[in-house]
Amino acid sequence: MRKHRYALGATFASLAIVLLAACQGNTGSSGSQSGGATSNLKIGLVTDVGTLDDHNFNQYSWEGAKAGAQAVGAAAPHSVVTTQSADYAKNINSFVSKNYNIIVTVGFALGSDTTKAAKANPNIKFIGVDQGICVDANGNPDSTFACKGDAATLLPNYQGLVFKEQQPGYLAGVVAASISKSGHIAAIGGTATVPAVPNYMIGYLNGAKSVKSDIKVELKYVSAAPDAKAFNDPAGGKAAADQLLSQNPDIDVLFQVAGKTGNGVLQSACDHNIHAIGVDVDQWVSTPDTKACTVVSAEKKLTKAVSDAIQRVNDKKDKGGTITLDITTDSVGLSPFHDSQSMITPDIQAKIDAAVKGLKDGTIKACVETPFGSCDNKNGQPPA
Amino acid sequence: MSQAASSPAASKPAALEMRGVTKRFPGVVANDHIDLDVRRGEIHALLGENGAGKTTLMNILYGLVTPDEGEILLGGKTVTIASPADAISQGISMVHQHFMLVPVLTVAENILLGEEPMANAVIMDRKAAHTRIRELGRFFGTEIDPDLRVASLSVGWQQRVEILKALYRNADILVLDEPTAVLTPQETKEIFTVLRRLTAEGTSIIFISHKLYEVLEIADRITVIRRGKVVGSRIPSETDEDDLAELMVGREVQLTVDRGESHPAAVTLSVSGLTVSDDRGHEVVHGLDFEVKAGEVFGIAGVAGNGQDELVEALAGLRRPASGTVQLAGRSITGASPRRLHNLRVGFVPADRHRYGLVLVFPLTDNSVLTSYYRAPYSRGLVRDADAILRHAEQVINDFDVRTPSPLVHASTLSGGNQQKLIVGREFFGDLRLLVLDQPTRGLDVGSIEFIHRQVIAKRDAGTAVLLISAELDEVLELSDRIGVMYRGRLVAVMDGRSATREEVGLLMATGGREGPPPIIAEGAA
Amino acid sequence: MNLRRARDAAIIPALSIVLALVFGSLIMIFSSPLILGLDLTLPLLAYKALVEGAFGSFGAVVSTIVNASPLILAGLAVGVAFKAGLFNIGAQGQFLTGGLAAAAVGVWLAHAPGPVAIPLALVAAILVGSVYGAIPGFLKAYTGAHEVVTTIMLNYIALYIVAYVVTGPLRAVGATFARTPDVGNATLPILVGANGHLGILFAFVAVPLAWWLLYRSTIGFEIRTVGAGPDAARYAGMHPRLLIVVTMAFCGGLAGLAGSGEILGLTGFMPAGYSTNVGFDGITVALLGQAHPIGIMFAGLLLGAMRAGAPLMQIEAGVPSQMVDVLQGAILFFLTAEVLVRYLFRIRAKSAKVAELQTVASSYGGQATPAP
Repeated sequence: MRKHRYALGATFASLAIVLLAACQGNTGSSGSQSGGATSNLKIGLVTDVGTLDDHNFNQYSWEGAKAGAQAVGAAAPHSVVTTQSADYAKNINSFVSKNYNIIVTVGFALGSDTTKAAKANPNIKFIGVDQGICVDANGNPDSTFACKGDAATLLPNYQGLVFKEQQPGYLAGVVAASISKSGHIAAIGGTATVPAVPNYMIGYLNGAKSVKSDIKVELKYVSAAPDAKAFNDPAGGKAAADQLLSQNPDIDVLFQVAGKTGNGVLQSACDHNIHAIGVDVDQWVSTPDTKACTVVSAEKKLTKAVSDAIQRVNDKKDKGGTITLDITTDSVGLSPFHDSQSMITPDIQAKIDAAVKGLKDGTIKACVETPFGSCDNKNGQPPA
Repeated sequence: MSQAASSPAASKPAALEMRGVTKRFPGVVANDHIDLDVRRGEIHALLGENGAGKTTLMNILYGLVTPDEGEILLGGKTVTIASPADAISQGISMVHQHFMLVPVLTVAENILLGEEPMANAVIMDRKAAHTRIRELGRFFGTEIDPDLRVASLSVGWQQRVEILKALYRNADILVLDEPTAVLTPQETKEIFTVLRRLTAEGTSIIFISHKLYEVLEIADRITVIRRGKVVGSRIPSETDEDDLAELMVGREVQLTVDRGESHPAAVTLSVSGLTVSDDRGHEVVHGLDFEVKAGEVFGIAGVAGNGQDELVEALAGLRRPASGTVQLAGRSITGASPRRLHNLRVGFVPADRHRYGLVLVFPLTDNSVLTSYYRAPYSRGLVRDADAILRHAEQVINDFDVRTPSPLVHASTLSGGNQQKLIVGREFFGDLRLLVLDQPTRGLDVGSIEFIHRQVIAKRDAGTAVLLISAELDEVLELSDRIGVMYRGRLVAVMDGRSATREEVGLLMATGGREGPPPIIAEGAA
Repeated sequence: MNLRRARDAAIIPALSIVLALVFGSLIMIFSSPLILGLDLTLPLLAYKALVEGAFGSFGAVVSTIVNASPLILAGLAVGVAFKAGLFNIGAQGQFLTGGLAAAAVGVWLAHAPGPVAIPLALVAAILVGSVYGAIPGFLKAYTGAHEVVTTIMLNYIALYIVAYVVTGPLRAVGATFARTPDVGNATLPILVGANGHLGILFAFVAVPLAWWLLYRSTIGFEIRTVGAGPDAARYAGMHPRLLIVVTMAFCGGLAGLAGSGEILGLTGFMPAGYSTNVGFDGITVALLGQAHPIGIMFAGLLLGAMRAGAPLMQIEAGVPSQMVDVLQGAILFFLTAEVLVRYLFRIRAKSAKVAELQTVASSYGGQATPAP
């Protein structure tokens, strides 16, 4: 009997806490104002399926939104984390219905819904991370992918930010080939079905060949689909890398292009005492567990890109259309070498500098590009 | 009413007294100020129809139910029994009607469950346990191997293991809930011997049963409960079956059906060379031959597990015979589906009413058309006719005296007797060629048994061929015009129903006609 | 009588929801200090935003219904199977393959007139979903392979079928990422609000249909009998094996239809990385709705409202939209821990145990194969 009352009591006590809290009035507010507000812009961000702390697109775009908000003196941004594909439009519309001024959407998968929202709400500014804008003559998503419409004039309120992953991939290849003693290197990607992944990997291949034309480069994908196995399975990534390294024990540099799955790849490289190269962000910083073997990372400067886009809006200097961010604006590139600086001999540094210069002035192409800036990857597999 | 007074046990001290025990459930008083006293070394029979309140009373004693009023005294001292563990620690043990044994464990493991003698903190003292079990086994006249798996034992021996379990816990008061329901007359006799030996050592036994002749044979005193109240106490020497039955039911009961002469006509069911295998592929029915004529009851007696289940399943279309033929009025129905049999006007009352006969979570309406739901008027094309089904259910309920508050309540809310009457009402409905009855009154109270038996005879007299398979010897003797005895998958004898005696049939059931004691190991299990 | 039965059936789900909301409050209160400082009003703010996002405006109500309709269909796909004693964890795979079929036919008929393209795409989704549901049904009925195991495996297979087809034969030429072309004229017309597409009607047609099938039709009686008493069903002359296959096919069709609504009505194409939880959420919906079509409808609307309100909850209160998943998980926990709920609120169990929960429980005990 007594136990009964206790349990029931506990339940209602917790209910009471909630109700009591209500009586205290609405004191707390979710977003705290940053000092020196000079802008009334309300900034919202919709993530792709995943989490806000994915050490990847979602997270660094969010960092960018926060940095941008602070830079223009606007209130801290708000986010909505997407949990399934069918929710993109709904999540974007939630910000629309609350009269947000800037809506950042993260990931190519949101491109179509962002385009529709941008057309429907010309007074709201949209920033699409990793989104090449492809519209027809009326400003609708182009179902033929001919992209005949001029996005910049049809949707002046929509900036699509894309990165040339092949360029940092190329630089990573230069580094890998330069530090490899065996002449056998590898890259492990999440899936070939997400263009960024083969972009990196083809660039890597080409960069490596530019240093040593006879170098052996293994390119592996862990999954056929852009699923959890591809990007969210460190154990699976480690297993894939372990297998690759046991079959090819002479591989001495490993480049990961597989998100969190790739963190397992880095772990495997450390376990095998070989060099690793991180991806997207500076992994020497973001995954400290494996910094011992992480020589460098091939970076997209997402945070800077998003922050810059927000500032452009605030400065009323924004233009619509696809904005390809490449090495000319230092929006992609290599991270610092940190502890591995000593490995980079003046000779190697010279090769890197030459590659950067060539990529910037166009004398070097990281890969054969499609009209949309991706590496040509017709069969879903890069040329090996 | 004569007060139970001058029995030899009356002078002994009381081991257990229950005073004014009352338990109310919503809408019903299960126990209404019940007084019960059980003396040391006494076998006290508790008699009553299903739902009379025996089980509730025993559950109170065993700590499973808390009484609303009343007190329990053990050896003169008031005690509180809050749980079965309490009950066991105070020397009360219970042997349930449904065995609470774990089939995959050995005899010893089952007996020790929860009471393992420990050699130290971690290791069980197997040797000590086995010695004690053998000692206890000797008590039964036959030693039992503690390492046998319970699943391999015959039902009678499983019952003994249940009792052993209680004895192992040093019970002063032993409650036996219908301990003989599944036993042969011979096994029953042996258990009775054990019980007498126990009482001689001072154990008190509460014996729950509704087999009146058994109660008269074994009990020192008898307390009868009806509708939650004690309606009388008797000592066996001063009463008889009719008196007890009347006390139980509250009206005069005809214990034996006046079955009259049968008028057998043409052969309806003809079984020849029927061989059936069980789920594991073992042949358990070996080349059975028999016939049932229209207008007669052919009873097959036998201890459970001698191939009856498989025989019935083969006849009901639930199991394909391995070989042999079955004919209905000259037409082959070997391996016919249940649906075809139903269409050929074969009624079938299954033994397991919860598993086969009813869907417990369905209302009586649905259950009343379980085997005929697909036909007009209950169903037209794809659509069920709820009105027609309801009318049918009401008719069955009315004709077969199913006591229920409404045809829309779940079958699970009915007592066993009323559930069985619903099944019987459904299967007896209309004009039938053949009626197969498998254990039609198992676990029912005398009132329901009487009613069902009358219906069987009525069906027989209407010209239906009736095949009765039953482990209740009395039932077979009472209803059958001819009796076959099934032993280890064979019909070992077929005899005239009126001249056969209990002893004769019982012996055949137990031994198959051969000399020697009944087997310990169940058929096919070893 | 009926009202009282409905009340009895609804009490545990209702209390589970209450307990889940309390539990969710505690999670919010005790997890927020890390970021926002201890804020006791946070749950109220969050729930207020959740309600506003679900019902606060006409658009919000439409959004609730749009979110609810696939959940109701998936809930029926699980719930009807419960009635046959089957635990259909495969609604997810049936949803995906159905959606894929709709996308394939939609792409094929993208330029055909809508009245032709839409029905054909829907029929394709239902058929493919049915086949995908019938497979585990067949395996269960004729080989004894437990449907929980096979449907889970088939969910993965569905995922890879989608990935293969969308990255291979159906890949849109020229698209920057792997996706099918648009479904064009097979797109479901918008009936109400911004995104209230034709598909929302499917759920509200399927509910009475499933109810009629289960409780008014002969085959429904057979399905329920197989679920409640497989041996009794055999004894009664029914064909449990066939019924298992038929039921799973029916359920697969419902889930496939749900998939088609999402593809033809919301996204307009299928990406290779199509991510969804509708099939799994259907399990929660079915249990919350006590496996009754009407209950499933309300449960689907509730979960749909939570899904519709989640973004606003994150925007207004800063509580991540995944909190909805936490709430859903908590509801499921309290539902299955019925004993605990009855204990906390001192409710006596009225009738026999809920058959669907038994199905869930027995699914982990590995039921035997139905005999022939």
